[in-house]
Amino acid sequence: MAQIQLRSETEPGTDAGIAGRLPADTDESAGTGERPAGKGASFLDGVRASIPIVIGYFPIAFSFGAAATERGFAAAEAVLLSAVIYSGASQFMALTLLAGGTGVVVSSLTLLAMNLRHVLYGPSLLDRAGPRARTRWAPAWAFWLTDEVYATTIGFLSSRREAWSERWMLGIGASAYLSWVAGTIAGAVAGGGALSSYPSIEAALGFMLPALFVALLLSILSRRSLPVVIVAGVVCTLVAGVVDVTTGILAGMAAGAVVGALRRGSSTTRRTE
Amino acid sequence: MSKDLIIVAVAVGLGTWLFRFLPTRLGRSPALASGRLAGAMEAVGPAAITTLLIASVLPDLAAGGPERTAVLVGCGVTGVTYAVTRNVVVATLIGALAYGLV
Repeated sequence: MAQIQLRSETEPGTDAGIAGRLPADTDESAGTGERPAGKGASFLDGVRASIPIVIGYFPIAFSFGAAATERGFAAAEAVLLSAVIYSGASQFMALTLLAGGTGVVVSSLTLLAMNLRHVLYGPSLLDRAGPRARTRWAPAWAFWLTDEVYATTIGFLSSRREAWSERWMLGIGASAYLSWVAGTIAGAVAGGGALSSYPSIEAALGFMLPALFVALLLSILSRRSLPVVIVAGVVCTLVAGVVDVTTGILAGMAAGAVVGALRRGSSTTRRTE
Repeated sequence: MSKDLIIVAVAVGLGTWLFRFLPTRLGRSPALASGRLAGAMEAVGPAAITTLLIASVLPDLAAGGPERTAVLVGCGVTGVTYAVTRNVVVATLIGALAYGLV
């Protein structure tokens, strides 16, 4: 979720040992588009890969549920926002907009603009998964394609591309989603301050997602991706400082994509010359 | 339950799902297989993770004081743990624990 608050191509990554022993999932039967049963990372592998996300989501969703009820929303309304929108930054913003009496159209367009970056996730993920990756269940797993699920999947694809499967996507996505909804319910029922007696635990849970991003960044970092990382980081920092964090994320991602496009374009030109 | 809230939730939920799902159909396009667009798609992953990391730590870093120290310690311990274990889950958990203890 974006209210939030890299690896050598040959190194094992996200969940070492989980899927490395599994055979290729993207090998479809010739011409049929059907994947032989039993291949690729399993649903349970996806659930295991989701552990940091599950642990990280719960307290954030908890704070969302608590914030919603503190602002006068019903617990059912908080859960509805989590279950239907399922995008942290947008949900917190929704509380502000709706509580402030902003109109439905303006509120909806503002919140959708915050989620525009998600447009890039599907193509990027499938590009890394390879031309034979299946998308039969994309309508389901795409609903769960949050920032953290996408980032963890990119880490997985960097080391286990051949094991990527839709079952794995469903496993990681469903677990993260359940954690998010459960956290919202707990927060809406318990209210704020439930963890205030345990400040160390509260702080550790709050840092789970930044720590996940650090580890993921290291897991996919390579000489090839370094320029993209540097440019995206600098642009994001500058724009976030001048405008806001959401615009910073969008600008950094766009700048990184431009660097990737320019590098690919120049290498293609050199090959054709 | 507020009618406005329901409308906003459904509109934003549907729109966000379309943002996440419809482009997966573009992912099957041959246009993505090569050229600049492929380079851009390949770069989106590292760029997204970088920007999300920055967005998540920037407020604490800007705040200075103990918050900045805790973030630096948490990130450092996460990095060292990953370098040693090459395991994202373990590095994340230990890094978060270190942050909580600072």
